[in-house]
Amino acid sequence: MLRLDNLSVRFGGLMAVNTVSFSIGAAEVVGLVGPNGAGKTTLFNAISGLVRPTSGQILFDGADVLRAPLHQRARMGIGRTFQIPQPMHELTVRENLLVAQRFGTGAVDPRKIDEILAFTNLTSRAEKNAAKELALTELKALEVAKALATEPKLLMLDEVLAGLETHGKRRFMAMLRDLHTRYQVGILIIEHDIETITQLCHRVVVLNFGERIADGAPDAVFRDPEVIKSYTGAGHA
Amino acid sequence: MLELIAQALYSGVLQGGSYALIALGLALVFGTMSVINLAHGELVLLAAYIAYTVESRLGVNPVFAIPLALLVVCLSAMLVYALISLIRNDREINTLILTYGIGIILTNGVLLIWSADIHTTSSVWLQDAVVVGPLYSMHSELLFFVVSVVLMGGLWWWLSRSWYGRAVRAVSSNRDAAKLMGINPRLTEIISFAVAGLLAAFAGVALYSYGVIQPSYGHVLTVKAFIITVLAGIGSIPGVLVGALLLGVTESLTVTLASSALQELAGMTLFLLVLFVMPNGLFGAARRRG
Amino acid sequence: MKANRTTLVGLLVAYGVIPLTLGHNNYVMSLIIASLVIGGIALAWALLGNMGGMVSFGHSAFFGVGAYVSAILTLKAGVPVAVAMLLGGVGAFGASLVMLPVLRLRGPYFALAILAYAHIFKIVATEWESVTGGAGGLSSVPRFPVLFGFDLGSKVGSYLMILSVVLIFVVAYKWIRSSYYGLALRAMHDSEDATRVVGVHSTLLKALMLFVSAFMTGVVGAFNVHYINFLEPDYAFNGLWVALPIVAAIFGGYRTILGPLIGAVTVYLVDQLIFKNLIPSGHQLILGALLVAMIILSPGGLLPLLRKRSRNNHAAS
Repeated sequence: MLRLDNLSVRFGGLMAVNTVSFSIGAAEVVGLVGPNGAGKTTLFNAISGLVRPTSGQILFDGADVLRAPLHQRARMGIGRTFQIPQPMHELTVRENLLVAQRFGTGAVDPRKIDEILAFTNLTSRAEKNAAKELALTELKALEVAKALATEPKLLMLDEVLAGLETHGKRRFMAMLRDLHTRYQVGILIIEHDIETITQLCHRVVVLNFGERIADGAPDAVFRDPEVIKSYTGAGHA
Repeated sequence: MLELIAQALYSGVLQGGSYALIALGLALVFGTMSVINLAHGELVLLAAYIAYTVESRLGVNPVFAIPLALLVVCLSAMLVYALISLIRNDREINTLILTYGIGIILTNGVLLIWSADIHTTSSVWLQDAVVVGPLYSMHSELLFFVVSVVLMGGLWWWLSRSWYGRAVRAVSSNRDAAKLMGINPRLTEIISFAVAGLLAAFAGVALYSYGVIQPSYGHVLTVKAFIITVLAGIGSIPGVLVGALLLGVTESLTVTLASSALQELAGMTLFLLVLFVMPNGLFGAARRRG
Repeated sequence: MKANRTTLVGLLVAYGVIPLTLGHNNYVMSLIIASLVIGGIALAWALLGNMGGMVSFGHSAFFGVGAYVSAILTLKAGVPVAVAMLLGGVGAFGASLVMLPVLRLRGPYFALAILAYAHIFKIVATEWESVTGGAGGLSSVPRFPVLFGFDLGSKVGSYLMILSVVLIFVVAYKWIRSSYYGLALRAMHDSEDATRVVGVHSTLLKALMLFVSAFMTGVVGAFNVHYINFLEPDYAFNGLWVALPIVAAIFGGYRTILGPLIGAVTVYLVDQLIFKNLIPSGHQLILGALLVAMIILSPGGLLPLLRKRSRNNHAAS
């Protein structure tokens, strides 16, 4: 479904993403891990359109993603969340979803909105101002809800669990597990917690200094000596 | 023909000196507060009219008006700063509108006090010609160009060597980090406003000494100063000097080769050109889009 | 639609009571018409600010271009006035097309770039003598026609025209604001990336708001030129067409739709009737002071402030 071919992103002198290639199938949940600064968010930005890659290709269901302007990628079926939640200011939670649905799919279906609100546990907060009246867990849930409203084929989650305490984390993880089965989306998820990744993902891709150093089943990947070195050697985990 | 162009370049450069002073004041404030003071040109205008008053009332060379101009303009700048700091929300936009309003007050205040007549210095010495080879200029132009260069040199020294100057630079580049290092941003804001006022005062007296002034000129000056900051790009002081000289020369060439009516047009067109072709200005730090 | 009864009463007053009671008083009618002209620009300005998120200091550009296009079309090409007015709006829209590149600029850069354009258009109007009549301008610009025996060029006729134009603007603004585009536009102010990532073509929407604002202002400029029958660059591109609408919008509350209109009528009438008598030359000073006071004390405008006060009083009792 999604295929990256030798994708590179260069910022001035820094090679943030260096000839990375991998693919994601329609029903897969793939984890994207690596130490801080490995280029994971940059990769997300390249796929969703916030950053222009220096070279390489991104194919989505065969179509060349790089030809499409940013706002069209949602229509193509690529949805993403932001690591630091970015709710639409001045709008209520429901309005956030309405905008996402209206512009991400071209039509409005209030029933689907209610469904998504229920699924992400936001029904009781639906009429609240998204930017001012939500707690962190709810903001993160809203990120997922917004992306879901665009009816994506691929959902990219950027550290959606970061900053949550144990209870919130567990609830979120249950939701993420449901996500895959309920909405039939492929998922690409950036997370730091190895246990989460192992439980959720079919496959894991590991980045270090912008390069792909591993790609396989979680158990195998986390036993790979190079992967272990990148985490302990680099100093962050 | 070549002589005409050389003369135009020369005059343009001399004029650019004063423009640089005005633009630097604007850029300094923008650097520390991230706001554009739309009333800045009117501060310059105020100084110019003070020079006129001093000359016409006391009969002395307007250069002697500088101390009074400094006092009045710096106080006015402080007043503007005080008003700006009263704004709580939507700082960028509200400050624009606020300073726009202040500009209207100042322009009309000048109109009320001094009427709409055009003025320029009557000092013979200032208007006397200085001939350098085939190039001609007035004493005033040359004098104030030297003054501008000295002031800019002083400003450069101050920004790179003195504690307060370096504090200003620190706040401009990273406000929070500066705070963590014990720098009081408010103090640096006040200082940069005061320095902007100082530069404006000199520029105003200069303007009166070799050019004509009228109440509507304040607004024009703000626009020119802004054009120069765009030409220069963000965070570049030498860039402001180059931008100012560029504007001065462009205007001068337009007057010589085309007509004086198109003078303003030339500046505007230059501005738009740079905006489209080099959005980061000639010297601005390149910023990533998105 | 909410407040149906208030709307009906308002329309009745505007279309019925005012012409009947004040129609014979040319002076008062002139004031009202002028204030509605300012109100139209104020509304267009507020639309660009609220929906497009762009503060402009150069709306005089659209006003002037609209006026010139309409005047020239009627004078030199014999186009009927009503059509020319619309084409004036189209001309202003055209002027905004050349401003598209500055859309990506932030706050002050956009505001002043637009101002630069205003200056440029003014100078073009002054220098392009063969077409625009140069600094001397154009005179004997055709008036509004007589329609079914009713002279639209009369004070009452002109009043009804500008009133209708402005009300159409209000309806259009309301429609935009309550549509999904309005939602997306409001979201774009602080979170543009969040909207783009879900499929909003933010650049296009912003451009559309610029076009609409320009078109509206152009139509108002065109109306004005046929109302006063004469035009010259200093007048058409005068800074007052920038300052007055801004003061009006801020005073009346630029976040509401009717605020700029009410602000325009109030501010203009007070300025002409009171300030002008206090300080004949330079009365704009008070306008500037008003603007400064409003921005500091109540940037949302006077009306929201009053509404809040009355709500507090009610709550107290």
